[in-house]
Amino acid sequence: MLKRKRLLITLLLALAVLMSGCSLPGLSGAADNTIKVGTMSTSESQIMGNIVRLMIEHYSDAKVEMVNNLGSSIVQHQAMMNGDIDISATRYTGTDLAGALAMDSVKDPEEALKIVQREFLKRFDQTWFDSYGFANSYAFTVTRELAGKENLKMVSDLEPLVSNLKLGVDNSWLKRKGDGYQGFVEEYGFEFGKTFPMQIGLVYEAAANGKMDVVLAYTTDGRIKANDLQVLEDDKHFFPPYDTSAVARNDVLEAHPELEGILQKLSGTISTEKMQELNYEADGKMKEPAIIAEEFLEENDYFETKK
Amino acid sequence: METIHDIVYYYSQNGAYVWEQFYRHFLMSAYGVLFAAIVAIPLGIFIARHNKLSVWVISLANIVQTIPALAMLAVLMLVMGLGTNTVVFSLFLYSLLPIIKNTYTGIRNVDHALLESGKAMGMNKFQVLWMVELPMAMSVIMAGLRMALVITIGIATIGTFIGAGGLGDIILRGTNVTDGTPIILAGAIPTALMAVIADVVMGWLERKLSPIKKRKGSLKKNLREQAA
Repeated sequence: MLKRKRLLITLLLALAVLMSGCSLPGLSGAADNTIKVGTMSTSESQIMGNIVRLMIEHYSDAKVEMVNNLGSSIVQHQAMMNGDIDISATRYTGTDLAGALAMDSVKDPEEALKIVQREFLKRFDQTWFDSYGFANSYAFTVTRELAGKENLKMVSDLEPLVSNLKLGVDNSWLKRKGDGYQGFVEEYGFEFGKTFPMQIGLVYEAAANGKMDVVLAYTTDGRIKANDLQVLEDDKHFFPPYDTSAVARNDVLEAHPELEGILQKLSGTISTEKMQELNYEADGKMKEPAIIAEEFLEENDYFETKK
Repeated sequence: METIHDIVYYYSQNGAYVWEQFYRHFLMSAYGVLFAAIVAIPLGIFIARHNKLSVWVISLANIVQTIPALAMLAVLMLVMGLGTNTVVFSLFLYSLLPIIKNTYTGIRNVDHALLESGKAMGMNKFQVLWMVELPMAMSVIMAGLRMALVITIGIATIGTFIGAGGLGDIILRGTNVTDGTPIILAGAIPTALMAVIADVVMGWLERKLSPIKKRKGSLKKNLREQAA
């Protein structure tokens, strides 16, 4: 009986492997002409993933399949290495320096980009494209009103007022090593009057309602715009850069020579403010990322005129 | 009330997308059941003939059914990777039991007298199967397919976790967004609706194919004719 069971399991596995190679009409295209784009579960990642998909569909005959809801950058990386996906839509320089590459963080955004581009080519044979033009990092944020009244533009501008200010941050940042509060105090040389840890989703409204004076926000979150907040420039480059790019495997780029040019068209096209807007469409206005991406590209004519 | 308004708004914004995912979701379920039918119906007939095997085959299919869907997807993902094919394969496995069991029961329950008269008319084995057993068992087999389809529509929802898309994508997005209740409902309602529609349509087919029903109808007609 054991023998028969083993035979059955082998058969099942063989069938599974066989099936993973085939394509079902209506669900997936032929394997050699299908490009798989992986995204994370954030709205931002899915919007960018759909933009990449629509760009490829617009400029080439290749079929694109979306693999949504990958858990994190590391999962994306593993899926790339396994061949489950061919392109990851959003990869952040700071995240992958620490994650996939296990290197120390680098403060200068351009240098960080250069390092990941070089290392990904060398270690994984993958191409890390130039940034889309936005970065999703931490940023000190105040109401537009306060910024106007006190003429705040950079984080250093906070120094004279700081002892009277209440700071709202997400739960982990205060105790975090490296780019946490401790490091911040050392780098900028001042401390806030009071700090309040809270859920990241609450900081935007807390600032808008005047419960907090300064909050630490995620820069591409649409709620910055929705609550009319202003981001202060991190003038000492304390936070590591989280510039966002697409990453593709080189064997895929070779199989589809037109792909590289298509992805390059997207570099530098979306500012952090624009990404806030797009994210807000998804998070605040209940639009699906696929629809937002389509509208965005139609508005910009699929970047036809960009070289 | 607010929520209902939001759901309507959501559909007006994303109608095309929802329809796309609806179609995708249905295709995944349908493929799973279709492949299972190709394997399970012959298997069911086979074990009906070889009764000793039936215990083994059915208990094995039973075991498959007890594996939690999320665990099944996770294990299959390790072998097959991410994507729709993995989901279709797991739906295939879940569809096996209801189809095998119903085919087996349907074929076993065909009246012996009918089989004997078929043989007496000079039918060979294949003709008995094709002209007597299958028509008699068809409604029971259809009931198996119906059950399988309804199960798979439900399970296909979690395919979103391995990047297969479908209506589960909408539900999962709702859980990631602030105030996502309308989005969650906007994904869940079509899923439930699809299961109900599939159940009704397959139920109708099942009744159409049932030999008993036909006989009843003609019996009534006969009675009416007699009364007239």
